[in-house]
Amino acid sequence: MNEHSIRELVIVGGGTAGWMAAAAFARFLGNGYTRITLVESEEIGTIGVGEATIPPLTNFNRMLGINENEFVAATQGSYKLGIEFVNWGGIGEHYFHPFGVHGHELHGVQFHQLYLRERKRRVLPDISSWSMSAVAASQGKFARPAADAGLPLAQMTYAYHFDATLYGRYLRTYAERGGVTRIEGKAVDVSLRGEDGFVESITLADGRVIAGDLFIDCSGFRGLLIEQALKTGYEEWTHWLPCNRAIAVPCRYEGQPDPFTRATAHPKGWQWRIPLQNRMGNGIVYSSAHLGDDEAQALILSNLEGEPIADPRRLTFTTGRRLKAWNANVVSMGLSTGFIEPLESTSIHFVQSGIARLISLFPDKRFNPIERDEYNRQMQNLFEDVRDFIILHYNATTRDDSDFWNHCRTMRIPDSLARKLELWKAKGRAFREELELFNLPSWVAVTFGQHLVPDDYDPIADALEDDKVAAAMEQMRQAYLNTAERLPMHGEFIARTSGATNPAAPPPLPEFVF
Amino acid sequence: MRDDAVRKVVIVGGGTAGWMAAAALARIMGQIPTFAIELIESDEIGTVGVGEATIPQINLFNAMLGIDEHDFVRATNATYKLGIEFRDWTRIGHRYVHPFGFYGIDMMGVEFHHHWLKGLALGDQAPLDDYALSVVAGLQGRFEHPRPGQPNSPLSRIGYAFQFDASLYGRYLRALAERQGVVRTEGRIVDTVQNGETGFVEAVVLQSGARVEGDLFIDCSGFRGLLIEQLFKTGFEDWSAWLPCDRALAIPCESSDDVQTLTRATARPAGWQWRIPLQHRTGNGYVYSSAHISDDEAAATLLANLDGAPLAEPRPLRFKAGHRKKAWVRNVVALGLAGGFLEPLESTSIHLVQTGIARLLTLFPTRHFDPVEIERYNKLTVQEYVDIRDFLVLHYSATERDDTPFWDYCRAIEPPEGLAYKLDMFRRNGRVFREHEELFTETSWLSVMVGQGIEAGGYHPAADILSDAETLKRLAHIREVVADTAARLPAQADFLAEHGSASNVSLKRAS
Repeated sequence: MNEHSIRELVIVGGGTAGWMAAAAFARFLGNGYTRITLVESEEIGTIGVGEATIPPLTNFNRMLGINENEFVAATQGSYKLGIEFVNWGGIGEHYFHPFGVHGHELHGVQFHQLYLRERKRRVLPDISSWSMSAVAASQGKFARPAADAGLPLAQMTYAYHFDATLYGRYLRTYAERGGVTRIEGKAVDVSLRGEDGFVESITLADGRVIAGDLFIDCSGFRGLLIEQALKTGYEEWTHWLPCNRAIAVPCRYEGQPDPFTRATAHPKGWQWRIPLQNRMGNGIVYSSAHLGDDEAQALILSNLEGEPIADPRRLTFTTGRRLKAWNANVVSMGLSTGFIEPLESTSIHFVQSGIARLISLFPDKRFNPIERDEYNRQMQNLFEDVRDFIILHYNATTRDDSDFWNHCRTMRIPDSLARKLELWKAKGRAFREELELFNLPSWVAVTFGQHLVPDDYDPIADALEDDKVAAAMEQMRQAYLNTAERLPMHGEFIARTSGATNPAAPPPLPEFVF
Repeated sequence: MRDDAVRKVVIVGGGTAGWMAAAALARIMGQIPTFAIELIESDEIGTVGVGEATIPQINLFNAMLGIDEHDFVRATNATYKLGIEFRDWTRIGHRYVHPFGFYGIDMMGVEFHHHWLKGLALGDQAPLDDYALSVVAGLQGRFEHPRPGQPNSPLSRIGYAFQFDASLYGRYLRALAERQGVVRTEGRIVDTVQNGETGFVEAVVLQSGARVEGDLFIDCSGFRGLLIEQLFKTGFEDWSAWLPCDRALAIPCESSDDVQTLTRATARPAGWQWRIPLQHRTGNGYVYSSAHISDDEAAATLLANLDGAPLAEPRPLRFKAGHRKKAWVRNVVALGLAGGFLEPLESTSIHLVQTGIARLLTLFPTRHFDPVEIERYNKLTVQEYVDIRDFLVLHYSATERDDTPFWDYCRAIEPPEGLAYKLDMFRRNGRVFREHEELFTETSWLSVMVGQGIEAGGYHPAADILSDAETLKRLAHIREVVADTAARLPAQADFLAEHGSASNVSLKRAS
């Protein structure tokens, strides 16, 4: 600690983003010096749409020392092995984007290259037959692979579905136990310092003034600090991703929860389906230019598999990103940073990623601009990578059944994506750039599923003998199948682990002392 | 690459032994590109698959194969075991546990049991069982992995093993072996082709007429010993005078609330009964001497002593205690029942397969089949059988039971030389030794000698380093820590659930 250390850290807003940040900072800034305060108002609802996640969240939970069984039980959660995409490449088509890799390399040749080579010789099953997560998901099975799991089970990779409100509550308990002070109140004003325009304090509706050295803006779309006070600016991406509305409605369902999210394309948008323990989360994402709100609501209600258990909630958003995620002494997190529709379940990941990056670039009161610029550069890259990957889903389609799809299919895509696609289409080559979130297995899944199977394969794969490749691939496929068959059904796994909340790190046992 | 390397191994028979051998050889030798393994089995021939209870050494085997424990436990409906409970062996109504672990803690450089013997002499009558966490937790049906990081905890280095469905275990290993390139051929062997000069097996011929050639043959064909006995007439060392049981009836039944993390062996009028609780059912069997009881009577006794509804008809098995005179002859190595049989009183069946494989890997031959190496293999194999036999005989001969002709016979058995020496050493001053690299440790010998009522005449003089009062105080402290630790361990059902074990677990919580 020194005179420059951050003394007062103020988090504005207590939705999922706010409590994730509070929990993580409670864990990592436990220096006895920095005080963490979170201001939230019960008057302001939270969005809490982001109920589906991706595997890096397991690291976030582990970092916090959260017991997974307890966490899943507390959030009505379920496990997720990937996303099923229905009607995206064309009406009537479906494919699975699994978590984790496809197959194994053979003598240094990537599996998808083996697959591309082999498919020139014979008709092959779908490439998802070589994904542990996809095969288990197709059978409704799930079990958590142990840290020392052997192959192929070790390849199973998972994330969660959960009730975001319950998740927020769970993290609130964690954060408060870790020393975070929660203040109930509605922020109505922001005071800036004259000399440098930094945020000095916020004022609550009851007149209380809360000063801070560093502010985390988790106030949602409006961006109370980052935008309303600091006028940071927003870059819109609606010409690539025209959807700007969503309607969410939970419903009842029968049977065991599927261990995957489903995203079904509609003529003018798409619909999510997220199985929790106690309900099915549903929502429709659409473009108001192509579909009216009432029409959209009627559509989603007619597509539910069970009785709705709440009134439909309407949301409006603008896809894009804040020009600077970190401006002056304000770091925005969650919806105040930007928004990309949850087609690949990235909303919570943006928050997590922002937190992790802020921890690794944590400032002091001098706010070195180099650190801030690096943070902003990394967040920009992340947003643009995800944006490109989402655009791929809309653009790589044969659908021509509406103006919406005609626009998506024929639009000019970002150069960054176009370059990648050219390289991919030639010989199935993809290179992970820097901190890119969606790597090779994701590319393989989505491109194969949406008619972008490369024309040729890497010549390096020709070094292998035909029979060996065929036999090895068949063995792998059987191994995935056999392993999946042995796993418990997903719902049973949840039921069986929900009562067992042995802490991850067992407490010390008594000892012989003489 | 050596030009005399074995290129092809043929495994004859695909029971537990066959698939264990296939998986292990594939894992170790299968890395060599020119090396092939073929396993021949016939779905017509059933497997015996009685050996559902194991000993802690199986963890080494699983580790060698790179098996994930939780995956394995789920796949084979396995339960954990911390030892074996012996009921009615010393006398009717008596019981003791042979733990996979240790008693108390060595103090002042003196083994714990000498302090315990001293306590007995001072009037502290607490049984040895109270000092082993494996026993206390085992009787309460609790389980947790050892905690080597806490050397002064009674959990520190306990051992554990599994009870599993042997046919599921075979299937699990088959999948593993096939993934590593083992080729399985369905078929019944009807003939063999031998080299006219050397007598080596060159090929086996299947009913279909197909010839399967190989450099090394592993005979896992069961009791009959298709190659090792029927072809080579190797001969069998018969130990039925020491171990008179020669039949068994096996029957699964529904699970009960009795959920110890122990295998149970209960002495009966003409033998003993095993009880092996799995996740989904309990395995039972009566091992008996046909000279002392009829099959019908044995069946009636077994059925009267199940703690759940039977799930099948009793399956009869016949055997003879002993071993093949040579486990390895020319280019044939016998594993499993083809190599010999010792009743599963100490759950050693699968272990004997495992060590046979380990020895084979250590002495893996070239196509010259060096006779000196083969002789070493055979000598070590016989030694292992002898060691286990001596330990088994101890259970029968050291008994007070005189309620049936069977037990009268057993009580009168003259202990084999090695056992006689061990008994003598213990009776003098409570000395327990582990000879050469024998399987059973000092803890094992101690538990069964004490359990079977053998009394030590004295204790190690160095135990008097501690004053009498200090000894009694420490003994009480150890008992307390053991009991306290056991109470904190999860019940097996919870432990299994924590790791998402198979969906059909019917074990209930320990009360």
